[in-house]
Amino acid sequence: MEIIVAILQALLLVLLAPLFSGTSRWLRAKMHTRRGPSIFQDYYDIAKLFKRQDVHPACSSFVHTWMPAIFLGTMLLLAMGIPMFTAASPIPLLGDIILVLYLLALTRFFFSLSAIDSGDAYAGHGGVRELIVGVLVEPSMMLALFVMGLTCGTTSIAVMGQSVADLSVAAPVGVIVAAIAFFLACYVELGKLPFDLAEAEQELQEGPLSEYSGPSLAMAKMALSMKQTIIIAWFIAIFLPWGAATELTVPAILLGILFFLIKMAVIFFLCSVFENVVSRVRYKLVGRQTWCIVALAAFAFVLCALGL
Amino acid sequence: MDLLLISVFVSVVGAVLSLLLSKKEDTAKKVACFFGTIASAIAVIAGVGAVLDPAGVSVSFATPFSFADFSIMLNGLNGLLLVAINILGFAAWIYGISYFDEYTGMGLGAIGFFMNAFIASMNLVLTVDNAFWFLVFFELMSLSSYFLVIIEQKPASIRGGFLYLVMAHIGFMGIMIGFLIMAAQTGSFEFATFRAHDFGPILGSVCFVLAFVGFGCKAGMFPFHSWLPQAHPAAPSNVSALMSGGMIKIGVFGIVKVGLDLLAATGVQLWWGLLILVIGALSSVLGVAYALGEHDIKKLLAYHSVENIGIILLGVGIGFMGLALNQPVIAGLALMAGLYHVLNHAMFKGLLFLGAGSVLYTTGSRNMEIMGGLVHAMPVTAMCFLIGSLAISAIPPLNGFVSEWFIYQSMFSIAGVATVAVKFFVAFAAVSLAITGALAVTCFVKAYGVTFLGSPRSEAAKQAREVPAPMRFGMVVLAVICVLLGIGAPWVAPVMQGVAASILSASTVVVAEGATLVNPVLGSAISTPLVAILLIACVLLPMAAKQVLAHGGEASDRDPWACGYALDPGMPVIATTFATEVKHFLRPIYAARTAVVAKKDAFVSGFNALVRGAGKAEGFADKYLVDTVASFVSWLGQKAQRIEGGNFRVYIVYIVAALVFFLVLAVLVK
Repeated sequence: MEIIVAILQALLLVLLAPLFSGTSRWLRAKMHTRRGPSIFQDYYDIAKLFKRQDVHPACSSFVHTWMPAIFLGTMLLLAMGIPMFTAASPIPLLGDIILVLYLLALTRFFFSLSAIDSGDAYAGHGGVRELIVGVLVEPSMMLALFVMGLTCGTTSIAVMGQSVADLSVAAPVGVIVAAIAFFLACYVELGKLPFDLAEAEQELQEGPLSEYSGPSLAMAKMALSMKQTIIIAWFIAIFLPWGAATELTVPAILLGILFFLIKMAVIFFLCSVFENVVSRVRYKLVGRQTWCIVALAAFAFVLCALGL
Repeated sequence: MDLLLISVFVSVVGAVLSLLLSKKEDTAKKVACFFGTIASAIAVIAGVGAVLDPAGVSVSFATPFSFADFSIMLNGLNGLLLVAINILGFAAWIYGISYFDEYTGMGLGAIGFFMNAFIASMNLVLTVDNAFWFLVFFELMSLSSYFLVIIEQKPASIRGGFLYLVMAHIGFMGIMIGFLIMAAQTGSFEFATFRAHDFGPILGSVCFVLAFVGFGCKAGMFPFHSWLPQAHPAAPSNVSALMSGGMIKIGVFGIVKVGLDLLAATGVQLWWGLLILVIGALSSVLGVAYALGEHDIKKLLAYHSVENIGIILLGVGIGFMGLALNQPVIAGLALMAGLYHVLNHAMFKGLLFLGAGSVLYTTGSRNMEIMGGLVHAMPVTAMCFLIGSLAISAIPPLNGFVSEWFIYQSMFSIAGVATVAVKFFVAFAAVSLAITGALAVTCFVKAYGVTFLGSPRSEAAKQAREVPAPMRFGMVVLAVICVLLGIGAPWVAPVMQGVAASILSASTVVVAEGATLVNPVLGSAISTPLVAILLIACVLLPMAAKQVLAHGGEASDRDPWACGYALDPGMPVIATTFATEVKHFLRPIYAARTAVVAKKDAFVSGFNALVRGAGKAEGFADKYLVDTVASFVSWLGQKAQRIEGGNFRVYIVYIVAALVFFLVLAVLVK
């Protein structure tokens, strides 16, 4: 049963990721009072890209060819470990926060490496930005997770979620502040405005993706929107675990899926609205915002250490 | 035990033979590599035996010095270090068969001599069980490696070597004073008597801090790290691998040995652990941040050694804290994590240095800015370097991730049982490790991307060719070990835990069940074999889907887009791009370096002042002692000249006078 849930999660993620990104495009158009594309536009785009030629620069190597598959594959792996529909992790051995954090580092490694491999100056700069944003966000993520690890006495996502669901955490104020800090860190990782830095269309021509085309581009785009979904699912699993199936029966899981989709939709909606009312931060000044998040996470830690 | 002595003997024979054959450089090289490889292989077997059975065996030989019996002890801790250093030695010797050709004309006989002596002295430092002999071999190790650093005789290598020598001796002094205090208290130089003696909290702390600083200089921890990026890159690359992967671990070994073994009866104090933890956190962040600023590939790797020593110290520090807080399970877990990282770092850092050596061998340069596109010309080197880069960046499921996972686990575990003040230290360390991880990813994307990917940026890079078979073999061995130590972690970790438990004299902690790595304190579990299998499957799946679904064909003959201009090799991202960006975002860290470098200069200028002072003192002595004696003698000579007038009548007078004198003397005596 767990294996089926794991595969179901991975499959649904692949199938729904374009819907989420399509919806946010639609919403963006509505906010601009444009008619905008259909919410299924991203499916059409992917289908069309698969018919196109797969072009790689002459100087590129296997890294450029394999990156979309590695990126997509890692996202599938993450989708099997993070509890989404169920309270327990479908494959508990993949549901450890440190493993998740370092699997995200794996994708960042290859994503940026492919940017340099393309030999394109714009892509390269996008790759460097991706890495720098990672450096700036990582400490606040780790600190927020450290707070959770300390209050829940575990490093497993599912167990953390369960103790939040039971409202049995030792330092509730600390956990709320940690949740805010973690959400902000996740938001920066999503690569949405105002932190759309690595793939900034107007500045860097889609950054690391600029030399991708055809099926490779389709896969990379899909992997990017899967990454957004997974990061939000990660946040939901730890801090908003209510409604997830506690037992492995078909109705409970269906209900869990429903709750998950609702939570996901609400957060995506909020993020999309926020995305459209702000402008891009100046890249050189992004450190100011991220250090504020670190400070917030540190505050959460102080609260937690004091037992509040 | 016998195997260890045989290995040392073989090394010594190799060293002497290569020195004797130094006229015929090629023969000397072959002889040195042959004996070195055999000696390392034997020592690896000896080390593995000790790791699997960490109880410890010792022998003792009487020497002419009554205070210093030559006693040797082989236990889990030094067995592990023996394995790490000698696997590296094995790969480095085989690599050297081809690589040393670059050094023809610079004295291959001498290189063979010093490198054999270097490895033999490291093996002996690890295993001797007597303070006197420990210091002797420690000094021998520093000296033999010093000569390897200055072998190229370039100004930079001589400067780096000098700095190394100064720092090595500052460290040596700390260790020596620590050991002398302990010897004065116990009245013996035997480590066995140190172990049994309780030095009391104050004297124990003094000894520990002296040893920590002393061994810390050797380990290259912050703030004693500045010699490392100067000295290690100057040596031949396979020696750099041995120094950066192996020798600096002896610093960590010393800290663990003194703190947990020699001062076992005294007892560990909490603040020792906190000191190690803080220094470890600073070393890890600063090491990797400075590495990002480099465009010399070997200097970059040397700075990464500072970082990894920091990570190891994080594990060791929590081990000390666990012991002080009476948490034997967490102590066992943390120390195991630290030791695991010792082995891991030896493997991937050795691999990366050999990879850098291959790049240097084929392009003749260490400057990453002029590389680019080497992946097409040297695929084996590129693949090995990629594995090393992923491993050092702690990417799952490779070995660097396993040890860092255990270090995180021990941090989460100890924070749960510690007081509020200690929690802050642990949180600081955990955040430092997270920043370090992210910076390491950045740094190795830079190192690998700028060197091996993109298009060639110079004639040398265009003409690069794959390196000869022995060099490839050396790299592949280490790359395979990196993968095995990662995916095979559930079977390696219990062995490491056995070593850690033997150091702490505690019962073993369960760190793996079947194919799963576990933290028994928090109940966390991961499985690297599972991650590896699923990752491969999940990556192949979309690749296969692409083959089936895509119909547009493939092309890879286009130039990258350059905004409508003709593509220029100066356009893409180079090492400086990374350095500028990181320096912008992490300005305070680089400001800290300026301060530390100023201190390093103070060390060197202090030493120079000492040398000048000694020179003056020498002149002083000349003036007042030697000159006085010399001028008195010459004055005497001049006076004596007056006596001999050249007239034979005067001589007769002398003879008569002398006769009268002796007659009178004879009468008086009677």
